[in-house]
Amino acid sequence: MEWVDSHLLTTVVFLPLLWAALGLLIPNTSGESSHKFTRNWTLAGSLLTFLVSISIYGKYTPAGSEFQLREMAEWIPGLGVSYNLGIDGISLWLILLTTFLMPIAVLCSFTAIEARVKEYYFLLLALETAMLGAFVSLDVFLFYVFWEAMLIPMYFLIGIWGGKDRIYAAMKFFIYTLVGSLLMLVAIFYLAYQHQIQFGTFSAALTDLYKLQIPAGGMLTPQCLLFLAFALAFAIKVPMFPLHTWLPDAHVQAPTAGSVILAAVLLKMGGYGFIRIGFPLFPQAVAYFQIPFMILGAIAIVYGAWVAMVQPDIKKLVAYSSVSHMGYVILGLFSLNAIAATGSIYQMLNHGISTGALFLLVGMIYERRHTRQISDFGGITKVMPLFAVAFMIATLSSVALPGTNGFIGEFLILLGAWRTSPGLASISALGVVFGAVYMLWMFQRVMFGPINHAENKDLKDLNGREILTLAPLMVAIFVMGIVPNFFFEKMAPSIDRFLVHAGAQTEKNVVGGVASALPPRPKTLASLIRGIE
Amino acid sequence: MEALKTIHPELLTLSEAQVRMLLPYFVVFGGAILTMLVGVMKSINPKWPVFILTLLTAAAGIFYSCPLIHEGSQGLFNQMMVSDPFSNFFNILFLGSALITALVSFRYLDREGLQHPEYYVLILFSALGMMLLASATDLIVVFIALEIMSLAVYILVGFRRADRRSNEAALKYFILGSAASAVLLYGAALLYGATGSLGIHPILTFIQTSPAAMTPVFTLGVWLVVLGFLFKVAAVPFHMWMPDVYEGAPAPVTGFMTTGLKAAAFATFVRVFLSLGYGRGFSGLIQTHMHDILWVCAVLTMLIGNLVALTQTNLKRMLAYSSIAHSGYILVGLVAGPLSQQGYAPVVFYLVSYAIMNIGAFAVITALASREDHGLNLHDVSGLSQRHPWLAFSLAVFLVSMAGIPTTAGFTAKYLIFASAVQAHETPLVVISVLCSAISVYYYLRVLVHMYMRDPVGAPASSRVGVWSAVAVAAMIALTFQIGVLPARMVSAVKNAVTGL
Repeated sequence: MEWVDSHLLTTVVFLPLLWAALGLLIPNTSGESSHKFTRNWTLAGSLLTFLVSISIYGKYTPAGSEFQLREMAEWIPGLGVSYNLGIDGISLWLILLTTFLMPIAVLCSFTAIEARVKEYYFLLLALETAMLGAFVSLDVFLFYVFWEAMLIPMYFLIGIWGGKDRIYAAMKFFIYTLVGSLLMLVAIFYLAYQHQIQFGTFSAALTDLYKLQIPAGGMLTPQCLLFLAFALAFAIKVPMFPLHTWLPDAHVQAPTAGSVILAAVLLKMGGYGFIRIGFPLFPQAVAYFQIPFMILGAIAIVYGAWVAMVQPDIKKLVAYSSVSHMGYVILGLFSLNAIAATGSIYQMLNHGISTGALFLLVGMIYERRHTRQISDFGGITKVMPLFAVAFMIATLSSVALPGTNGFIGEFLILLGAWRTSPGLASISALGVVFGAVYMLWMFQRVMFGPINHAENKDLKDLNGREILTLAPLMVAIFVMGIVPNFFFEKMAPSIDRFLVHAGAQTEKNVVGGVASALPPRPKTLASLIRGIE
Repeated sequence: MEALKTIHPELLTLSEAQVRMLLPYFVVFGGAILTMLVGVMKSINPKWPVFILTLLTAAAGIFYSCPLIHEGSQGLFNQMMVSDPFSNFFNILFLGSALITALVSFRYLDREGLQHPEYYVLILFSALGMMLLASATDLIVVFIALEIMSLAVYILVGFRRADRRSNEAALKYFILGSAASAVLLYGAALLYGATGSLGIHPILTFIQTSPAAMTPVFTLGVWLVVLGFLFKVAAVPFHMWMPDVYEGAPAPVTGFMTTGLKAAAFATFVRVFLSLGYGRGFSGLIQTHMHDILWVCAVLTMLIGNLVALTQTNLKRMLAYSSIAHSGYILVGLVAGPLSQQGYAPVVFYLVSYAIMNIGAFAVITALASREDHGLNLHDVSGLSQRHPWLAFSLAVFLVSMAGIPTTAGFTAKYLIFASAVQAHETPLVVISVLCSAISVYYYLRVLVHMYMRDPVGAPASSRVGVWSAVAVAAMIALTFQIGVLPARMVSAVKNAVTGL
């Protein structure tokens, strides 16, 4: 227990993998009873991980040092690579998001996955380990290892248990992501080497790399090129327009749990990469590319919404809505001020919750009807009232209705973006309108009206397991919409530090402050907004 | 003889230390002879005794080499060969590869009706050739060792006498290999003419002390030697022989060739290469020209190897092209090595990792092959994960490692090579390399797609895996992950191996 206490992050990261490996070792009979055991075993493992991760929440103190719960061990000493873990207020929430969604992803697969059950659940837990590892790594090499390791389980999840075009989608997903990240690898070599030139030793530790002075200036300077190498990897993962084309394929073909994890956690890797590596290491390059990236974000918002509007397939519609929602994240991050950055990080969490819920709901109706075409539905409210309520809540969260989580995120982003570029903020605000259009229009066509299809007449409403799957997300949507300060409290100092690293620490941009000279940070949303006036 | 006794008495006796250094070679040579003798005994069935003797010989060779990797270098036979950490490190690699090949072959030979004692004898002799090659410091010894190794392998390639593909491969390999050896020998002769010596170190000393020695004859000699080696490692444009040979040779022999043969060629390449003055900075001519030519060669090798591999549907052929591509990555390390701090350590590391994953992959392929090495097309492995979950898993691990995905040996190896190249200010070369390895992911993954995501086609071949192969494959998987996850020990071992160079 003492070991666990001092190695809390290692425990959380590797618990799922160990648990899964243990599950493989336990001998059991084949057939249905064995499948049942595997399901319950995996569910227990993911719940246990969630419980342990809650204790991370308890241990993290916003007033403390930049990175907390640090763990250090030598790994490849000759190359300055170390096993270096730690979290701040931003990664804390992403870890909690991951561990919170994992039991839900497991639970939603209970009936959907009938073939190769053992392998499926093993890969799910292995994926969890890789994702958590990326969020806690403070060494770029380690980060890269986890980043790439994520690909393999996801590749198999899509490729084996996916839909009709699963192989194409899995291959596209893998190659797209890999090409981006290989250039990031070259940039990592270069950074470690730069550290050797400037400080005498190789190092891939982020805290060391933050001190580097990388020549900047024009487009072809090392700083800009390095930034672009990292940005390509992150932008593909986010995904940023125009690198988003793998996403609809992967989402549509993936099994429900795969879509949920892909949308809720994997896409966040891109945003997190920008926050943890891209911005702090290359502040001048970020300033240089600020407007182009904001424009791309704004395009993604509007374009994603437009394309979503014409999708005949619900799942594809939700996938394109992801492109639009993640456009906000990019817009907010590149606005380089506290409000937009807070909004962006919040939006990352929101998107995980609401899009996760939408994918779950789509999966549930697909299991019943084996179709996802909007035109195959209509009048579902009458036969599945509970389902309709849940779908309504998720839809409203996605269109950012006040009172739901989506509102807080998008509002803050637009507010912050306005301070940097009123024009782009106005264009992006249109995305909110379009968002309402495509989501509500889809909702209306699926849920209301007469029941035109005989198959829809006796659809069964949600069963107990499905309610259990959805309930936590529904609660989260409202909690995050009503008491955002609970979340901001832990994030605030980290966001300030992030802005300091990113070179945006000016009177105008930062409300509170890390340094003791600055006044303590206001803790409520209202004061956050007031602070900028 | 009498004159020798008075002038160089030390040449006729071996000191105790020298005997200890030579023990691995003696053991393998003795073991090979003994195996041959047991093989022709009429009174017993030689199958098991020969197999066991081969394993014991290789194991004993490894046992005697292991302590020597921590000792200093010691010239032997009037500096014609040397026993240093580098050579002993490679001795372990070669013998390990011979050991695994023997393990994997046992059942395969039974199945193909080829269970002849000569097979194991030839494996041992070619391993001996490799060992001599890695420790040779004289161009004549290099040539002799090369021939010992190659002659044994020529026969092994054509070991399936009744199969036309195997015969064709052996003949092709023999003719082209002999031509390459001749080129190498001619280069050595020119070097001798220019410098008056065949020893690697004397040549280096000569050109260091008298830069005027950089005559056209010397330069031509250098190019011919380098050319010979580029042929041996199958770098583009000297790669044409390789796919056919790899496809025609019996599967375990192909595995042996991709690991042992390739490592041996590169080990000597490194040694000879250093001696020609590359990276020492005293000759602009050698430095820039060699650099440029190898640079282009590396890029072409990676590009063509990977691009052509994309279109292959036969597993053996695909791995042959992938082997060419891997030669390209190693050439990157060779170009960058002397200009970076790590020197040739990444190259050696890459050779070890590549040997491990490749011999593992070929062990699986050997188990999968139906008679006469048929049934190795992509569609034959469709749905393999359902028929043979463990075989599919093993092959997947090795392929993922070759693709360079983290937590496997292949990733660490690529990381080290590329990191050293960035340090040598070869960033454009690294960018090209990583893009090439992105291409490679496609064809490696395609095998995974077939094994895991497609349903079986046709009647499944009832391949059963022998115990020996299973042990070998399991060991290689363990090593792949061990080097991938905790590479520190291997990194320091490799560093130690190249310090004496």
